[in-house]
Amino acid sequence: MALYIVKRLGWIIFNLLILSLIAFALIKSVPGSFLELQILLGQAGTTATGLTVSEIDKIRGVETEMMKRWGPTVPLWEQYVTFIKGVVTLNMGPSFRWPTQTIEEIIRKTFPVSFTIAVLAITIAVFIGIPLGVIAALKQNSWIDYLVSALVMIVSAIPNYVMAVFVIFLFSFWIPILPTYGWGHPKNYILPVLAMSFGPIGSIAGYMRTSLLDALKQDYIRTAWAKGGTERYVIFGHAMKNSLIPLVTILGPMISHLILGTVFVEGMFGVPGMGQYFSQAANSRDYPLMMAQTVIFGLILMVMNLIVDIIYFFLDPRIRISRR
Amino acid sequence: MKNDKNKKKMGRSYWSNIWRKFKRNRLAVFGLVFVVILIFLGIFAPWLAPYPYDEVHYEAVWTPPNRQFLAGTDQLGRDIFSRLLYSLRNAIFVGLGAQAFITFIGLTIGLSAGFYGGTIDNILMRIVDIIYSFPSYLLNIILVLVLGRGYFSIFIAISATGWAGMARLVRGQTLSVKSRDFVEAARASGASNSRIMFRYILPNIIGPVIYAIFSGIPGVMLLESGLSLIGLGVRPPMPSWGLMISEATGQFLYNPYMLLAPAGMLVLTLLSFNFVAFGLRDALSARE
Repeated sequence: MALYIVKRLGWIIFNLLILSLIAFALIKSVPGSFLELQILLGQAGTTATGLTVSEIDKIRGVETEMMKRWGPTVPLWEQYVTFIKGVVTLNMGPSFRWPTQTIEEIIRKTFPVSFTIAVLAITIAVFIGIPLGVIAALKQNSWIDYLVSALVMIVSAIPNYVMAVFVIFLFSFWIPILPTYGWGHPKNYILPVLAMSFGPIGSIAGYMRTSLLDALKQDYIRTAWAKGGTERYVIFGHAMKNSLIPLVTILGPMISHLILGTVFVEGMFGVPGMGQYFSQAANSRDYPLMMAQTVIFGLILMVMNLIVDIIYFFLDPRIRISRR
Repeated sequence: MKNDKNKKKMGRSYWSNIWRKFKRNRLAVFGLVFVVILIFLGIFAPWLAPYPYDEVHYEAVWTPPNRQFLAGTDQLGRDIFSRLLYSLRNAIFVGLGAQAFITFIGLTIGLSAGFYGGTIDNILMRIVDIIYSFPSYLLNIILVLVLGRGYFSIFIAISATGWAGMARLVRGQTLSVKSRDFVEAARASGASNSRIMFRYILPNIIGPVIYAIFSGIPGVMLLESGLSLIGLGVRPPMPSWGLMISEATGQFLYNPYMLLAPAGMLVLTLLSFNFVAFGLRDALSARE
C-alpha cells in the first residue's frame, strides 16, 4: 500500500509537470499579452482604476518584479523554470490583474471560499440524496420511485448556472429573503450552495438507488433473509453497507468537479472564489495567475482521485487482495 | 450474431431487439422525437427564424413576447425567438460535431490500445490518464483564449480534452471482447488485425459506445453554454444560450422572459438527449 501511494504520488508530480508545461505553452501562445499591452501604455499593471497613491507606489515595485519574471527579454525556458520554482516555493509573484496582491495571496484567499461551497453542497446532497435513493430503491416501481427517477433525470439536465438563476429568481423575486449578490455574510453562502447542490442530489440519489437495488439482488441478502433477519437488519446491516461503496468513489470526483464547476456559478452570485478569479484572469490575460490556478486545480483533482482510490482500497477487501 | 443466417434463425437481429426495447420506454421515444425535431429546427434555423439573429429593432427593445416577436426582444431589440433558433443550431453543431470528433479519436486510441496491448497500450493509456487528470474546464478556457473566441474554437477545445473518457471506455470494452472465442476463431481463419478490429470487435462494443456518445452530447452543449456565460465562448452578436442567459441575469426582475426562454430551451434540449441516453442504456443492458 505504501509503495502504491508513493508510486501514485510520483505520477501526480509527473502529470502536474506535463500539465504545467501544456498550460505554459498554451498560455504563452495566447495572442495579446497583458504585459506587452501595459508596456505600450507605459504603465505596467495599473489597469485597475481608482488606486490609491500608496498602491501606485507598490505597483512601481511590482512592475520591475513582473519584468524580471515575465518580461519579453527573458527567454521562455527561464520563465517556465521561474514559474515552477514559484509553485514549489510558494513564491509566484504578483498577479497582473490584481497587481497589489501576490498569486499565493489570491489563492490562499479564494480557495477556502470555493472549497467551503463545494463541501457544503456535497454535504447537503449526501443528506438529501442518499435517503431519496434508498426510499426509491425500497419502494421500487411505486410513485415515489418514479418521482425520484424523474427528479434525477431532470436535475441532471439542468446546469448549475441555470439552477443559480432559478434560485435567485425564487429567493429574491417571489420570496425576497436572501441576498442574491455580494459577499461577507454567512447568508451569502446559502444561494450558491443551494444552486450547486441540486445536480449532486440528483446523481447521488440515482447512484444510491441503482446500487442498493443491485445489492438487494445478491445472494448474501437472500441468506440474511433466510436466516430470519429483520427488514432493518438486512437492509441497513447488509445491503446498505455494500451499496455505499460505489457512492464513495463518485464523491471525490464530485467535490473536485464542484470546485471547478464554480467557474460558471461564482460570477453570478459575486462569490470571490477561485472560479471567478480564473474567469476574470482569463478575460484580462493574467497568465501568471491562470497558470498557477490551472496547476492548483490539477493538483486538487489528482489528489482527490488518489484519496478515493485509497478509501476504496480499505472499503473493498476484494481490491486489497487483487492488488497484492 | 451479426450475419444474415443468424438473423433469420433468431428472428430478430441485435439492433431490432434494441429498438424494440427502446420503443417500450415511452420517455425515451418522446426524447427521440424531440431530438429529431430539435436537430431539424437547428439545421433549418436560417429559413425558420423570422429575423436575422443580429437584426436590431431600437423601437422595440425589451418587448415581452407578442405576435410580432414570439419570445420577445432583448436589450437591443433583437428577436429572442430567432436567437434561440440560431443558438440551437450552434449548440447542435458543437454538440454533435465535437462528440463525433471525440468518438473518432476515442475509438482509434481505445481500440489500438486494447487490441495491441503491451507497450502501445502502456504509452497510450498513460497519455489518456494524464489528459483525464487535467482540470478540463480550465484547459478549455485556455484553449479558447489561444484559438480566439467563436464556435470553431469551442469545438476544438472541447474535443481536445474530451476524448480521454471515450478512449478509456473503448479500451476496457475491447479488452473484454478480445479474448472471446469468436475473435480467436477469426484470427485462426487468417483475418488481418484491422479486419478483426473493425469486423469482429467493433460491432460487439458499439452498444456502450453509442450510449456514451448520446450521454456525452448534453455535457458538450453545457460546456459551450458555460463558456459563453462567462464571456469566453461565442463572439457576440453570434447568439448562444449561455450568452443570452448572462445578458438576461441583470434583467430578470423586469424581463423574466429574456431569461426563461434560453434557460428553458437549454434544459429542454439537454433533457431530450438525456431521455434518449437513458432509454438506450436500458435497451442496451442485455438482461431481459
